[in-house]
Amino acid sequence: MTSPALTLAVPASSRRRRARMGQWQGLLYIAPAMALVIVFFVIPVLFTFWMSFHDWPLLGQPEWIGLGNYVRLLTDTRFLSSLRFTAYYTVITTIAIFVVAFPLAIFVEKQRRGVGFYRTVFFMPVVVGLATASLLWVWLANVDSGLIGPAIRMMGFAGKKVNLLATFDSAFWTIIVMVVWKVAGFTMIILLTGLQSIPVELNEAARIDGAGSWQRFRHLTLPLMRRTIALALILSVTGSVLAFDQFYIMTSGGPQNRMISVVYYIFNQSFVSFHLGYGSALSIALLGILIVLSVVQLRLLRVGDDK
Amino acid sequence: MTDGMRLRQVRKSFGPIEVIHGVDLVVGEGEFVVFVGPSGCGKSTLLRMIAGLEEVSDGDIEIGGKDVTDLDPSQRGIAMVFQSYALYPHMSVRENLGFGLSMANVPKAEIAVQVDAAAKILKIEPLLDRRPGQLSGGQRQRVAIGRAIVRKPQVFLFDEPLSNLDAELRVSMRIEIARLHRELGNTMVYVTHDQTEAMTLADKIVVLRDGVIEQVGTPREVYEHPANTFVAGFIGSPRMNLLDAAGQGAGKVLAAGAEIDVPTIAAAGSGKVTVGLRPEHLVLTASAPGTLKATVDFFEYLGGTRYLYCQLPDGQSLVAEQRDGDDLAAGETVHFTWKPKDLRLFNPQGLKLV
Ligand SMILES: Nc1ncnc2c1ncn2[C@@H]1O[C@H](COP(=O)(O)OP(=O)(O)OP(=O)(O)O)[C@@H](O)[C@H]1O
Ligand SMILES: [Mg+2]
Repeated sequence: MTSPALTLAVPASSRRRRARMGQWQGLLYIAPAMALVIVFFVIPVLFTFWMSFHDWPLLGQPEWIGLGNYVRLLTDTRFLSSLRFTAYYTVITTIAIFVVAFPLAIFVEKQRRGVGFYRTVFFMPVVVGLATASLLWVWLANVDSGLIGPAIRMMGFAGKKVNLLATFDSAFWTIIVMVVWKVAGFTMIILLTGLQSIPVELNEAARIDGAGSWQRFRHLTLPLMRRTIALALILSVTGSVLAFDQFYIMTSGGPQNRMISVVYYIFNQSFVSFHLGYGSALSIALLGILIVLSVVQLRLLRVGDDK
Repeated sequence: MTDGMRLRQVRKSFGPIEVIHGVDLVVGEGEFVVFVGPSGCGKSTLLRMIAGLEEVSDGDIEIGGKDVTDLDPSQRGIAMVFQSYALYPHMSVRENLGFGLSMANVPKAEIAVQVDAAAKILKIEPLLDRRPGQLSGGQRQRVAIGRAIVRKPQVFLFDEPLSNLDAELRVSMRIEIARLHRELGNTMVYVTHDQTEAMTLADKIVVLRDGVIEQVGTPREVYEHPANTFVAGFIGSPRMNLLDAAGQGAGKVLAAGAEIDVPTIAAAGSGKVTVGLRPEHLVLTASAPGTLKATVDFFEYLGGTRYLYCQLPDGQSLVAEQRDGDDLAAGETVHFTWKPKDLRLFNPQGLKLV
């Protein structure tokens, strides 16, 4: 904290005082960040937690009902089906993102001509907001005036008009493609940093040891990228579990309301039906689920026990 | 003639820039060859070409009588020890040593035998279950060498293997590598910056400059009979004094105002030459014809040796190494003599004159 040069000459008592002052200084430095976290995260979470034990209508008096909301959500079939859908979506998106992002990362890691251009192009969709991207793809997928449907028709793959957002499967895959397009660049950059942190000599040593490119990937690259993969995985899973914009904007919950994600359901309960207490309980439950998922992922990838 | 290794007109270009310009080299079976040269002269590049890590732009490489120019690194019969050790950080020492064999689908029991044998040679048995991160620099270096041994290569390649170690450890690892070479008898190619390593380890020193071989010879040949002024100046520390001189007809040259006898050559003519004198060959003497007069600039006392940094009357500088004698003050005038056999003469192109 204080520099050794300063502390050397001063007597013990004043050194202690200085150390105490240093601690206060440290607190001072993190105070702005702490304030933001407390105001925008800790207090809302605590308040949500508090609300979740109430029947809390928009107007009128909240009423304490203890664990009532939590008991209710355990048997709420619409909640459970939104959970199932979110899980399905999360698994598919995460796999799709990694399948696309890993080869991209390997591609842009090699020193080749125009690599800066490729990195930029692949990363570009990331800077588009998710809502904006959703709107863009709603247009791309439009039956008449869009790009994809008419293009499929023009190339002769389909006889009649193609409405991508009309059936569950085609709408679901359109959203997956949109999300991968939007997010893969970000995952690519994360994975790229992991790839770049592996010393070149390790791969050379493995080449001399007779490991082919797949074996080097399997025995060297993957294990050495464990932390990076964990980070990319947790970000991808968390992002998918919290998915909302794309379903709200692109399909409004989808054909037969089959595309209601958990957050979408919480939104409906809280701000459409105004069951604020129940919405809070659902949010807290979702927070718990996310924490469990993250811990499980860290465990599975054994992050932290390197030595 | 040889089963060791042969390079024929080997060239390497990175893009439009050629960095190795047609290297020819023959290495005998079991020879210990050391590449030395200034930074950036292409030592590592040449070694990596032998290893197969760097493509050969032109020419070919033979190992054990087999053309390996286009072979994969793993099929050349080589093993390499990297400066950074390049141990696999997520594997135990045992797995590091056995990795190559397991890639070659050698049965587990056989791998264990080989790994134990290599560990025994390097005395790293107690470390087998640790990770590289839990080892000291010297231990890591042993493991890296062990990993090379397990491959049972025809040729060992070392790229500055000791340069990350502290001075003391460097000496003991150097002796270790010499012992290893004696015991295993493999051909070894070793890149270093360290003159002591080069002189003590090498059967054959290869002096490189700017991608060209300047001289190949035993340490003694390279030190005592440098082929040119570059080698003369590069090998030896402090470096050989190279003085501009002019031929004075038969057997005499004029250097820094002194007429010097050079009986070894019949006639230097009247052209320019370079006189080479090693610091340790200069002996203090009384003023006499044929001696070099110099003014002491400063004097360094190192215990066993002392260095005299002097200036000659014509402004050239001269370093002399003394074994004993009194301290000398700056500004004192001294005279040097030497044995005629210790004097080297180079022509204006820098080549050795016989
Ligand atoms: N991948 C590369 N691309 C372009 N030029 C390179 C590359 N690798 C090496 N060079 C060039 O080739 C020359 C020889 O490099 P090399 O690494 O072989 O030198 P070195 O003798 O090992 O030097 P040092 O003693 O500093 O390790 C240098 O001029 C270097 O800039
Ligand atoms: Mg080098």
